Amino acid sequence: MSLPVILLVLFALLLVGLLAWALRPPAHQTRPELDVFDALQQSRHSSRMSHVLQALQPEDTEYLRGSGELALMRTLRRQRRLIALQYLDQLQKEFEMLLDISRVLAVMSPEVIGIEEMERWKLSLAFAATCAFLRWKLRLGLRPFSGFTLLAKMAADIARQLDAATTRIAESTVRGSEHSALGHKNLDGQ
Amino acid sequence: MVEPLQLQSAAWALTTTLELALFVQLVRRKLHRISPLFFAYLMSVIFQSAAEAVLYRNTNLDKMSFWRIAWGMQAIVLFMRSLALLELSRNILSRYAGIWALARRLFLGVAAAVIAYDLALSQGDWKWLIQNGVRGLELAMAAVIVTVVIFARYYWVPINQFQRALAVGFCLYSSFYVINYSLFEKVFQQYAVLWNFLGMIAFIASLLLWISAAHSYAAYEEVAVPPTIPSELYGKLSSEVNTRLLLLNRQLIQFLRLEDRSQ
Repeated sequence: MSLPVILLVLFALLLVGLLAWALRPPAHQTRPELDVFDALQQSRHSSRMSHVLQALQPEDTEYLRGSGELALMRTLRRQRRLIALQYLDQLQKEFEMLLDISRVLAVMSPEVIGIEEMERWKLSLAFAATCAFLRWKLRLGLRPFSGFTLLAKMAADIARQLDAATTRIAESTVRGSEHSALGHKNLDGQ
Repeated sequence: MVEPLQLQSAAWALTTTLELALFVQLVRRKLHRISPLFFAYLMSVIFQSAAEAVLYRNTNLDKMSFWRIAWGMQAIVLFMRSLALLELSRNILSRYAGIWALARRLFLGVAAAVIAYDLALSQGDWKWLIQNGVRGLELAMAAVIVTVVIFARYYWVPINQFQRALAVGFCLYSSFYVINYSLFEKVFQQYAVLWNFLGMIAFIASLLLWISAAHSYAAYEEVAVPPTIPSELYGKLSSEVNTRLLLLNRQLIQFLRLEDRSQ
């Protein structure tokens, strides 16, 4: 049996596996009734990144070394790493919420933009991989690093960008609602 | 010990009985109105079973004529199955105009790529062209079904029990056909009886699944049509959501890069 034929057989087996995977019950509660506007207005964890980064800064706990409180310093750093892990969980939840919103929008839209859907799919894969990698690094013990000030600055910039993006969403939403009373009615689920 | 041919005859009789049982169930549950093309496909299969029984009794027919008639009927059944599959995809996704439009383009691409790959394996040998073409079509159908189900899962599109059973039945039969044919391709003549028998077993499993789903089908499983939003609003919101996703992702990557640099 030649390699191309073996590939065909493997592809057929893969299809059966994919079908079984796709038909299994969903891991988390699906949200077809998700209110897009409510979800978009929810608080964003990403805007708190600078605080989390600040808490992870070595200078924040370094003074304890000077006063001979090494054990306390380690405990504090461990606790802060745990907080950073929780923060990552929340960041992932926020990302998933945005993905949920995009799905609800696609279901309700008479025309779906394939490129944007594909872009989202790629982003979700990249985000899941990065998040998992970072989580493991934090679990294994994140070493304090010197570039935190810069990172905190960058985080603040990103938070500002996020704010601007959200404002644009709110504006376009309001404009869309004004343009189409029907659209607003539908989104409210009435 | 049971002879292979006796076993095949028994499987044949069982297949025909199950086809008729499914026919009755579809009519009794009025599912022939919901899935008329699937019903037409079943009719073509029943016709094929009856015609093959007549052909086997007709010993005057030469091999070539028999081969042509058998493949002609198979082509009709295959065509009807493709239509039934399209109907299933449309029944699941067509309520959602945007997703359905996107899915149709994707299905065409997936099906064309799979068939082209399979046909390329024939390397211009016409003897294998038809049989490889059939295999390509079966694989394309399986790929399309899986794409429909993945689409439905990703966008939370509900699939009722009957549709689910149709999808599983079609996919299992098509995948099994591809595996079976690919494995027996080189030794096709020697193991023709076994090859046919295994094919029948796969079809019997699909028939049992469909009968069970048709039997337990409830009309209330039908879902309401979702509201729609203007395309313009979708476009704006969709790109903004993407921007936010992109920023979140970038944020994480920068976090990671800076940490790596500091290590």
